[in-house]
Amino acid sequence: MNNTGRAPAGRREGVFEREPARRVFAAELKESRVHFKEGQDEKSPTYVLLPTGARCNRVFLAGTLTEKKKQGEQNMFYRARIVDPTGTFFVMAGSYQPEAMQQIARLEPPSFVAVVGKPNVYQTPDGAVLISIRCESITQVDKDIRDQWVLDTARATLDRIDTSAQTPDGERARSEYNIDPGLFRKMVFEALAQLKI
Amino acid sequence: MDFSDTAERISQKITSRGHTVEKSGIETKLRRLVDEFGVPPAEAERTVLNELAREFSLTGFQSGGAGEQKTLNQLMNGEWVTVECKVVALTAAPSPSIAQTGIMADVSAAMRFVVWSRANAPVLEAGKWYRLESAVVDQYKGMLNLKIHSGTTVREVPHEGSLKPDITPIRDLSPGVASVRGKVVQEWEATHDRILQSGLIADETGSVRFVLWKEEGKERLNPGGVYTLYYATVDDFNGRLSITLNTATTVPEEGDIQVNTGSSSFQGAFVHLAPGSGLIKRCPVEGCNRVLSRQNYCPVHEIQPQFQYDLRIKGWLDNGEETREILIQRGESEHLVGMNLDQARELAENNPLGMDEVFLRFREALLGRYLSCRGREIENRLLVSGCELLHYEPEQLANLLNRAGGSL
Repeated sequence: MNNTGRAPAGRREGVFEREPARRVFAAELKESRVHFKEGQDEKSPTYVLLPTGARCNRVFLAGTLTEKKKQGEQNMFYRARIVDPTGTFFVMAGSYQPEAMQQIARLEPPSFVAVVGKPNVYQTPDGAVLISIRCESITQVDKDIRDQWVLDTARATLDRIDTSAQTPDGERARSEYNIDPGLFRKMVFEALAQLKI
Repeated sequence: MDFSDTAERISQKITSRGHTVEKSGIETKLRRLVDEFGVPPAEAERTVLNELAREFSLTGFQSGGAGEQKTLNQLMNGEWVTVECKVVALTAAPSPSIAQTGIMADVSAAMRFVVWSRANAPVLEAGKWYRLESAVVDQYKGMLNLKIHSGTTVREVPHEGSLKPDITPIRDLSPGVASVRGKVVQEWEATHDRILQSGLIADETGSVRFVLWKEEGKERLNPGGVYTLYYATVDDFNGRLSITLNTATTVPEEGDIQVNTGSSSFQGAFVHLAPGSGLIKRCPVEGCNRVLSRQNYCPVHEIQPQFQYDLRIKGWLDNGEETREILIQRGESEHLVGMNLDQARELAENNPLGMDEVFLRFREALLGRYLSCRGREIENRLLVSGCELLHYEPEQLANLLNRAGGSL
């Protein structure tokens, strides 16, 4: 997605800037471990560092809702599994996201959905690391949008791979993860290969 | 820099009073002030002259006063100056303590001026040249202007030749006085009964708001017309520039110009539908049009039961790197969501959730969709004039496969 407007540097200071929603495949997000905060403030944004070298406060994804589960008694929340060509996203919506909860309640798997949400890194008691996405909104979409998202995410991932050697976040990702970002090229290729030409 | 001319000028002034001075000494002092201390040459000249005047107990050099004659573009805040310039516009005095206001210009620049009533100055006439001695430069609303007070000597002077002001590209405007050549691209409803006309004027480089206040003899500009506006005043209003045409001489021009109205475009996923989207109520008072609260309350006109319904979309587009707030008016909203105003009204009237139901339908129809929007960008918000839903393009797939597979 190209922006033909002004560059970010041209924007005025002091104006609210919304955190962009990164495009990332499930297989890459699953490898993320580093969750950090920028700034000391309680409300400072937190970021997940992607292995291809970008900080990520929010994600946008489109995939297939395969399963949803209502959990908890007092603090009811929904867990949902959303599948893309590379793996599974774990999405949840709790009582702090009442709108997202209502949206999930109306959805019937399987269906194509688009999700905007914030990723979080959790460690289970047995030491496994889990990335789940706290849902801001989830809507039913069609296959056309899912396919657009795969293209969009493929392009964004390739862009990150190509520039990771030149960015501070790219540098940091290489030292934290010890994964060659080039390996994700294969993941992108396989994701694209599942689309119809 | 060569100081011999300046030194010559100073030494002549002193010798004409019967004293002798060393020209090379003057030059050394000037060079020291300018080169070592960064003093502007004109100020250095004044300093040296004053110093010598004190040394020889001379008066009459108007020390600290009018000083050398300057051109308008050399003036600085707080200076006492002598200038020769032409009255290019006269405007109605806003207060009884002001006798005249308007704009003066010379070849270098143009500037607002004020003649105080107590100055007892001769009445200035538009189109004539005057020599002003001991006028004061000060700053008002971020722009310099010239004050003619009781100590100012005003004398009409003959002047040869005509004055041709430089045209400033709209992108380069700054508070002050400027001449602009542009096209009236929008005319807005007057927000105040003293406004004769307001709107947007644009040239190849950008656009700017304009306002023309009601005043005898002033006429509206034709929308779509191209004009040269000589000596308009440029104000900074809440961080945005606006030009006032009351001081300007307006000359209609032949032909058309290519305008840049600040249009930009943005593509991305629609990631957030903001409150205030969907079916809204607007204040019916003419020229107001503000959005009413749920209780039909307008922030200015209070309770308005005879509101008008409208549709709009407020939200955020996101391309993964950057976000842009967008505002879409009724026409494009109807087209995007596939619901027109009448259908939305009917839905709201027959549904227990009322207007919220329209909001929810909008959200279901928009979130997650890829959009391409074009429009005018004001303060990071894109006012959308055209937009469409994007679709899957198989040819992009081929390109991306090549890109991903190229080095496997």
